[in-house]
Parts: sequence; structure tokens; C-alpha cells
Amino acid sequence: MILKIAWKNVWRSRGRSLVVIGAIVVGIWALLFGTGFMNGFMVSYMADIINHDVSNLQIHNPEFKNDYDIKFYIPDGIKKAEEVRKWPGVRGATTRTIVNGMIASARNASGVQIRGIDVQNEAIVTQLDSLISEGAYFEGIKKNPVIIGEKLAEDLKVKLRSKIVLTFNDGNGDITAAAFRVVGIVKSSSLKINGLYVFVRQEDLLRILAIDNQVHEIAMVTGSRIDEELVVNKYNEKYPGDLAESWREIAPELAFMEEMYSQMLYILLVIIMTALVFGIVNTMLMAVLERMRELGMLMAIGMTKLRVFMMILVETIYMSIVGAPLGLFVGWLTIRYYQNAGVDLTEYSEGLAAFGYSSILYPYLEADAYIVVTIGVVITAFVGAIYPAWKAVKLNPVEALHKI
Amino acid sequence: MSVIKVENITKVYTETAVPVHALNGVSFEIQEGEFTAIVGPSGCGKTTLLNILGGLDHPTSGRVELINTDITEMKDRDLIDFRLNNIGFVFQAYNLIPVLTSLENVEFIMLLQKVAKKERIERSMNLLEQMGIADKANQRPSKLSGGQQQRVAVARALASKPKFILADEPTANLDSVATSNLLDMMAVMNREEKVTFVFSTHDQRVIDKARRVITLEDGRVKSDEIRE
Repeated sequence: MILKIAWKNVWRSRGRSLVVIGAIVVGIWALLFGTGFMNGFMVSYMADIINHDVSNLQIHNPEFKNDYDIKFYIPDGIKKAEEVRKWPGVRGATTRTIVNGMIASARNASGVQIRGIDVQNEAIVTQLDSLISEGAYFEGIKKNPVIIGEKLAEDLKVKLRSKIVLTFNDGNGDITAAAFRVVGIVKSSSLKINGLYVFVRQEDLLRILAIDNQVHEIAMVTGSRIDEELVVNKYNEKYPGDLAESWREIAPELAFMEEMYSQMLYILLVIIMTALVFGIVNTMLMAVLERMRELGMLMAIGMTKLRVFMMILVETIYMSIVGAPLGLFVGWLTIRYYQNAGVDLTEYSEGLAAFGYSSILYPYLEADAYIVVTIGVVITAFVGAIYPAWKAVKLNPVEALHKI
Repeated sequence: MSVIKVENITKVYTETAVPVHALNGVSFEIQEGEFTAIVGPSGCGKTTLLNILGGLDHPTSGRVELINTDITEMKDRDLIDFRLNNIGFVFQAYNLIPVLTSLENVEFIMLLQKVAKKERIERSMNLLEQMGIADKANQRPSKLSGGQQQRVAVARALASKPKFILADEPTANLDSVATSNLLDMMAVMNREEKVTFVFSTHDQRVIDKARRVITLEDGRVKSDEIRE
């Protein structure tokens, strides 16, 4: 009957209870959607960077990352790339010859990283071809075609088929320059692809550098369920002279971001649930203070303090039981809708692009987030009920009975 | 058999700037089956005495023995259990649980005593019948008149099969007809069921029905009159 009384007490002040239930619904919805929204940012940003730039893992000569000197190449890099392509879990591997240099147009010049790519395998690993916004993927210009990012094209004030000059040190340490024509312009949320990288055919770069089949980077893409670390360890064990690293080591800022966003749910949970606790405490305290005489009577006739405490606790939990599933459902529904439709942020696209974010956002939430939120709500309800319940059991029946 | 025995009890409230002596050496004994009114002007200590007799408050000094059990030094936790199984309470403001029906209000105290559901409902219905409000069993207190609510409160007090019932100004909020009906029913319960009633009151209609009248004045027993 205590459960029954508690349930009926919830509806004693219908308006007030509905406000608390509403606060729980809105709180949970905001928590789920807020986290989903943040996750959407992170997932799309990271997916862009990993899929189009960093890849799941990369292999270098250990010295190369310190100096970026072309003499620090991966011995037998092309053969090794052919080998790893056959490893289980590896979806693709591509080789790159990399040299830092200058790009110059008739109007402007800029420092760039020139990437001599294996055209076919690059498309498999980074889907570079899918980023082409203008022109074609190394088609249409036979001699020295180059693909550059949208921002770089803008800075250099070049268009498709414009001539640009790349200047860099060759294999002998001499400065060399070569003319290229823009065959394609790529657009990506990666700031490096947009403004720093210059993509040329590997054979063209090797020829100008006057070196044979030297590659400085092997980028690999693995199956979605394959742990990159397994492939990294396997490679490093087999070729201890090279250095294989997963995207977490290559781009620690991404790993940090992933870590930070994974905490976002908990940060939002603490903020929203703290606000909710105050709402619950306020409402339940009012409910207790309004019923002082009744509570005094219950204790006078022989209801133990534990039972009084439990009654107030159960009342709060009931409100949570009504509010939480509703909030979870509305939150799930909202995320589900926007997961397909996307949240259109084109109004802010310029600002978002500056940070490498796309302007259509697809909220995303792991299933276990719903479990975390449910547990969070239950804990919140308990915490919110404790003070009013404690206040109730601290009542002196004699004094409470004479309250008006 | 003595159900209530108080020996030289005092109660001093020290929370105020000047200590208030609410009770000042009160002694008496009430036997099983009595129909006693504790009377006196406002501030004479009636409610304080009733609170002490009900185990809701402790005397500053003196001894309180209920049903041959000394409750003077009893811990609050034990007193709750003692009250539940030995004392019935009727309050001036009825104090029914507004979200429960009359039947459930009566049943509630037996639930605390862990009485089986079937017995709870049977006994509750019997009591409501005895109180003449069986037809109101499924009504909530807000749908009942003051007299009817107080009869539910008496039924609730009787439901736990207490050794005695303490009623604090039970007729204060009732009109004369309701008061008369309620007192008649209590008198019948006292006569036929040997239920011991102790009232605090300054209602002359209650005093007239009482078979014993203990008059308090300034925290002392001024007179103790037994009527035949």
C-alpha cells in the first residue's frame, strides 16, 4: 500500500508533478540530443580525416618524420605495400613519395607538401577521387597533372588547367623546379588536403627527383572491425627497421578529441542531472512541507521512519519512471530522424569549414549511451529524493501534527 | 487492569526564553474500559499530557507506565512499535490520508502491523459498519463530512486493536449532531467492546458523556471525578 500511496501522492498535485516529469523528459532529451550532436561533429570530422588523410595506419622510415628528407625512404617500400595488401583485415595500401617544397602560380606562391601518389591505390585508400569538386582525377592532362585543394587554388588564384610550378630539392640535394597543370581541385574538411597538400603522380615526382621507386609513406586502410593495433604490431615485428603507427599516434589530436568527446556524455549528464536534482529537491521538499501534519500522523500511529523515507523516495522514483522512458523515447526519435535527415548548418558553413567541420551534421549516439542516461536518471532521482525524505523523517510528530 | 499509570510527571519546555512548566507533578491511573475526559482551560497541559500518554513525547521527570510497561526511557524506535500495537489515536483535524478511500485509511494501520489482506478488509468493513459509514467505504475523505471523517478516524484507531484510544479534542471541528453521533458510537464501543477511551477536551458535550473527568489547571491535577 505504501507503493500505492506514493503513486497517488505523485498525482496529488498534478501540475507540480507534471512540471517535474516534464523537466525530466526535457533534460533527458537535451542530454541525448546534445551528446548525439557533439558525437555527430566528432564522428564526421574524424571519419573525414581518417578516411581521406591519415588512414588507419601509416608506415615510415623512423627518421623521416623528424626531417622529411627524401633520403629517409622505406626500403623496398613498394614491395612491402604489395605484401601488406594481402594481409587479413587490410583493405588497401598505397605508397607515397613525399617532398616538401614551394608551389607558385602567376599570382602567388606558397609552401606545400608534394605527394607523389600511386593514383590507383590512393583512390582505394583515401578515396581522393571522391573529393574532386572540379576537373578529373588525373584524367585529361597527360604531362605532369596536379591536384590541389580548393583553398590552395583560391590562394594561388588558379583554375583548372592553370599552370603552376613546383620547386623542391631533388635526390642530389639540388633545387629543381617543374611545371604542372591543374587537373583537378579537391574539397575536403581536412585543412591539409584543402590548403597544404599537392598531389602529383608518383612516377612524375620520382622522375623529377631523379630517384628510383623510393617511397616515404605507406598508408593503409583496414576493415572496420579490424583493430589497427594488430596490423601495426604485426608490421613492426616483421620490419623492425620501419615504423608503423596507427592514426592515434600519427594524429594524437584526433585521439584526444575522441577521448574528449567520449567524455561529453558524462559532462552533459552531470550538468543536466545537477539541474534536475535541484528541481526534484524543490518539488519534493514542497510536497513534504505541505504534508507535514499527515506525515506527523503517520509517524504517530506507528509508521517507521524508514517507511516514511521509502515513501518519499518511491514518489520521486515514480516521477522518474514516468519521465525517463518518455525522455529516452523522444531523444531516440529525434536522433533517429536527424541521423537520416541531418542537421543543416549551412548558415554557419564558413565558420565550420575553417575548423574542418562539414555543414551537414548527422547526430550519432551509441546504444550504451541510453543505458548510461537511464542509470544517470535513476541516480539523480535517488539523490534528489534523499534530502526531502531525510527532512520528512526528521519531523517531530508532535510538532508536525500541530502544523496548519 | 491498569492501562495508564503516570507518577509525578513534569514537563518543562526550555526552548523559550523563560522555561514553561506545562505539567507539574501529575499522577493518576486509568483502568481498562474507562471512558475518561481530561479537561481544563487552554494552556493547562491537556495536549502535552496526551502526547506523553501516547508516547509521542517524553516527560522531563516522573514515570509513565502503559499496559504495565514503563515507557519513560523507551527509545523512539521501540516507542513507534509500541504505539502501533497498543495505542489508537484520534486527532482533532481527523488527519486521514487524503489520497486513500475510507476503507484504505482504516486498513492502512493493519498493513503496518502486517495483518493479512483478507483480515484487513474484513475488519475494516466491520468497523466502518459499526461506525455507520459502510456506504462511504470507497469514498475519499474530501467527499465526506467532518463527522463522517472523524468516524473513519475512530475506525482507524480501533483497527489496530489498541489497548486504549487517545482522542485529542475529537469534537472540536464537529457540529452538535455529528458530535452527538460520534460520542454515542464511542460510548457503545466502550460499553460493548470494553475499549478504553481517554479524551482531552473542553467540549461540555464530551465531558457530560465521560464517566471519569480529570481536570487540569496550570499543569496540575485539580480534580479527579468518577461518575456512576
